[in-house]
Amino acid sequence: MDPLAFALNPADYGLPTRDELVAYRIWDTHFHGFNATTDPLGQFHANNLYVRRMGIERSITLEAGGTLRAPLEPAPHDAEMRALLVRERSWLSGITPIDPGFPDESCAKMEAWIRHGPCIGIKYVGGNRRGIPCSHPNNDPIIRLAAELGATIYIHTWLKVGGTPRAPGRGNLPGESTPQDVVALARRFPDVRFICGHSGGDWELGVRSVRAQPNVLLEFAGSDPHSGAVDFAARELGADRLVWGGHGPSRSYATELAKVLESDLSPADRRKVFGGNFRRLAAPILRRQGIPFEP
Amino acid sequence: MNPAPPLPRRRFLRQGAAAGAAAMLARAASPAPAPAAPPGIIDTHVTLFRWPFRRLKYDATPALVAKLRRHRITEAWAGSHEALLHKDLAGVNARLAAECRAHGDGLLRPFGSVNLAWPDWEEDLRRCQEEHRMPGVRLFPGYQTFDLTHPDLGRLIQLTAERGLIVQIVFQLEDPRVHHPLLSLPVIDARPLVPLLERTPAARVQLLHFAGNVAGTDLRALVDRTNAWFEFSRWEGNGRLGQLIQPGPGGARPPVPAARVLFGSHAPYFPVETGLLRLFESPLDAETLHALMHRNARRLLPA
Repeated sequence: MDPLAFALNPADYGLPTRDELVAYRIWDTHFHGFNATTDPLGQFHANNLYVRRMGIERSITLEAGGTLRAPLEPAPHDAEMRALLVRERSWLSGITPIDPGFPDESCAKMEAWIRHGPCIGIKYVGGNRRGIPCSHPNNDPIIRLAAELGATIYIHTWLKVGGTPRAPGRGNLPGESTPQDVVALARRFPDVRFICGHSGGDWELGVRSVRAQPNVLLEFAGSDPHSGAVDFAARELGADRLVWGGHGPSRSYATELAKVLESDLSPADRRKVFGGNFRRLAAPILRRQGIPFEP
Repeated sequence: MNPAPPLPRRRFLRQGAAAGAAAMLARAASPAPAPAAPPGIIDTHVTLFRWPFRRLKYDATPALVAKLRRHRITEAWAGSHEALLHKDLAGVNARLAAECRAHGDGLLRPFGSVNLAWPDWEEDLRRCQEEHRMPGVRLFPGYQTFDLTHPDLGRLIQLTAERGLIVQIVFQLEDPRVHHPLLSLPVIDARPLVPLLERTPAARVQLLHFAGNVAGTDLRALVDRTNAWFEFSRWEGNGRLGQLIQPGPGGARPPVPAARVLFGSHAPYFPVETGLLRLFESPLDAETLHALMHRNARRLLPA
């Protein structure tokens, strides 16, 4: 059986064919293909079947250099990761995780992995040892350097309900940023664009939080697919501020593609969300890093 | 020897599609019987009426039915969101039956609900079958303030087995991290179900939106020791559906027999497209797809 062929025709079920998925030019800006604790490279290779089946044009890993669990500690597969990002640059890119609790070390890592390495951006992971969210003023050197490099800035955000009394965000991990943290940071850097990750987890509140801050884009991977969520975000923010991520392999491409395919967005707006918006955001760093791409 | 330079990504993707198209053309060139119509899908998990915490895009039944039809869903087993919080389950079930008759367009089959925490649930069960001709009932533990250790659960399973009714048990409707702060629901443990189903092998019980615990021990026990059925709306992760139902390396037994897995969309809370895309994301052959799409459901509930 051809591993890329579908046994039935998706069009018969109101779905895009594989050719139509390819035509959307899907860039997965939230790829967790190297997040396994035991064999990250094995996980990456195993996941490629699904990347190809679902017609993903480019995968952008968020764990290039170190790991999400310990962003500033070298990982055993770092050298292989660097080589892979160069060798497969026609379809694979890297974003390197940093830790806002350690701004100097984070900047050093950005020098190594972006200025002198293959990566195109940074990621604030979900929580950190010192409990420092992205809004903390000590972060500012990180953002200044990212702006200088033209690096994309992705910030994991959630609003986990918890605490006493229960409220959204009170269940977050120490240092796990909220959409409100992103907005506070973005106000200090109005000429820099930020990606608010996971739509804040709770998209109804996340969209409201970032609505008035035009230099904040919204990415909505890694949460359950809620019918109507992308329509709501597009209505409130405009399709130009939405960025798609796959979050695989822990999330299913089916889950993340469905969020957009169910929406009432026009085909042109779908193409923006699936990749066009991110390509526009990342174009300077893609060119600087010599990554071939069509805008 | 230097390795071949990497293909530009889009060309690589097109090449893959072209290979698929070439295979299709080759198949088309050989004599073959006229293609059968694509199979319809039986969706075993849709829910009508208002979700208590926001309007859903397809929460009006005619819109939901039209949406399901657009995706070749030919039958849908429908519960009611009203059953989560209402106390008058008889009223909930009567409205569900009427809604399916009035707007179901021949597609919806109503699954009423009983709430074990409310008195005289047996009468609700009787009405579901005898007055509304429902093929089964759907339970919402957690929201309905009981869990699977409730002392009446064994009796409900016994009664439904005697009546030939299906019991659907919903394990989760919404990610607890985004619950309304007023909600504080327990995680529903499936393990108490295992001995109950062992004692009642004739019971027809389907678990909805169930992924199992991290270790997989509850899923394994349900597969090995009971006749429970499953739907896959909660089976998250790239290729997860295929990984759970297809033999592993060396022909290892799959975690869940494909014959006990049914299509469930969890619409209109989830987009219908999510479940449909899962069918295509995993490399499944046509025989398996037919089983998941309709044959297994038809074995559980004849037309």
